[in-house]
Amino acid sequence: MDKRKIKETLLGGLIKNNPTFVLVLGTCPTIAMTTSLFQAFAMGVATTFVLIFSNLFVSLLRGVIPDKVRIPCYIVIISTFVIIVQMVMRRFLPELYTTMQAFIALIVVNCIILARAESFASCNKPLYSMLDGVSMGLGFTCALCLIGIVREFFAGGSFAGFAIPGFPVMQGAGASAFGFITFGCMMALFNFVMQKINERKERIKRSVLPLADQLEEVK
Amino acid sequence: MDKTKFRSMLQGVLVLAAIALCSGLLLGFFNMITYVDPLQSAYDRFSEDTGATFSKMTDAEGQTIGDGKVVYYAVSDDGQVHAFLAEGKGFQGGTVQVYLYVQDGVISKAGYGEVDTSQTYIDRVKDAKLLESFVGSEVSSLNALSADTVSGATGSSKGVLNAVNAAVEYYKEHVGGENNG
Repeated sequence: MDKRKIKETLLGGLIKNNPTFVLVLGTCPTIAMTTSLFQAFAMGVATTFVLIFSNLFVSLLRGVIPDKVRIPCYIVIISTFVIIVQMVMRRFLPELYTTMQAFIALIVVNCIILARAESFASCNKPLYSMLDGVSMGLGFTCALCLIGIVREFFAGGSFAGFAIPGFPVMQGAGASAFGFITFGCMMALFNFVMQKINERKERIKRSVLPLADQLEEVK
Repeated sequence: MDKTKFRSMLQGVLVLAAIALCSGLLLGFFNMITYVDPLQSAYDRFSEDTGATFSKMTDAEGQTIGDGKVVYYAVSDDGQVHAFLAEGKGFQGGTVQVYLYVQDGVISKAGYGEVDTSQTYIDRVKDAKLLESFVGSEVSSLNALSADTVSGATGSSKGVLNAVNAAVEYYKEHVGGENNG
């Protein structure tokens, strides 16, 4: 097992290749399900579950599935896990299911899942594929939750359903247009912070390099 | 047809069929675990809403009345509460389910059940407390269909009114109306 690859896979989806803020995938559920933190979190968890298991099975069957029918096969695998999520939610979280049912069904065509199945799971071992699912799912969930916190704060004057006293509610902040604006602002902020971190890393690397050169010379 | 091409096509179809079959088996297993008996679910909701005990469904077949339908009807074990699960056709034919409880000829409680996803403006109906406005009404003199619909959510309002009307008319016909209520 390559520890470096495991670390790269795990951190890749969270930060470097964050599906929402960097790859800009799954925009539809990002806008639709982030009106409250709880809904955003539930959507993220449901997507993570589907991602992990669809990646695992696509990876396990990568040597069996012929190239010509790979997309229908992926869709069958993904939809199976989406239906399982639907069944479990309907049984144990009926109220949440009622509000989310249309978007839960649409996870089947979520481009994050299909993209990971096609670009990662179909050419990597099951363990790495599962880790990729965990990482991408967590990255997606974190992004949804961050947007959900901001939107809920402005639209409902609350945090995770708890009202913040004295905060005036912004009319229209629950609309999709505001969702897009929030999404765009957070994406810009995320990329700005990442750019600054990378620049800092580069500076440190450059300041350390002369020492490394000297070390080479000593050797 | 080219033999190699046919073989690869057959292989593709077989693999897809095998995956679909395994998927079906897995879903069947999960369905067994998570299946909710609608009748049991109705009993539970009746008991939860009224605090009374319901041990048998008086009418589990239901009856269609106009654009509404009584799905289940039950009487509590002490005979005090008449419980209805009724549904009505709303916007674009989608259904709205309501739970309605009648005690001494008066609607004592009402609540929403499953609402079809096509009823996108049902929240406006809920906010306007259309269903709650029937609580306290005498069933024998009630005409649910004459009630005002909620502006901007006419279709979903009609779904609620059709459901209430089905329960009310069923009660008048089978339990007690103007003459024997």
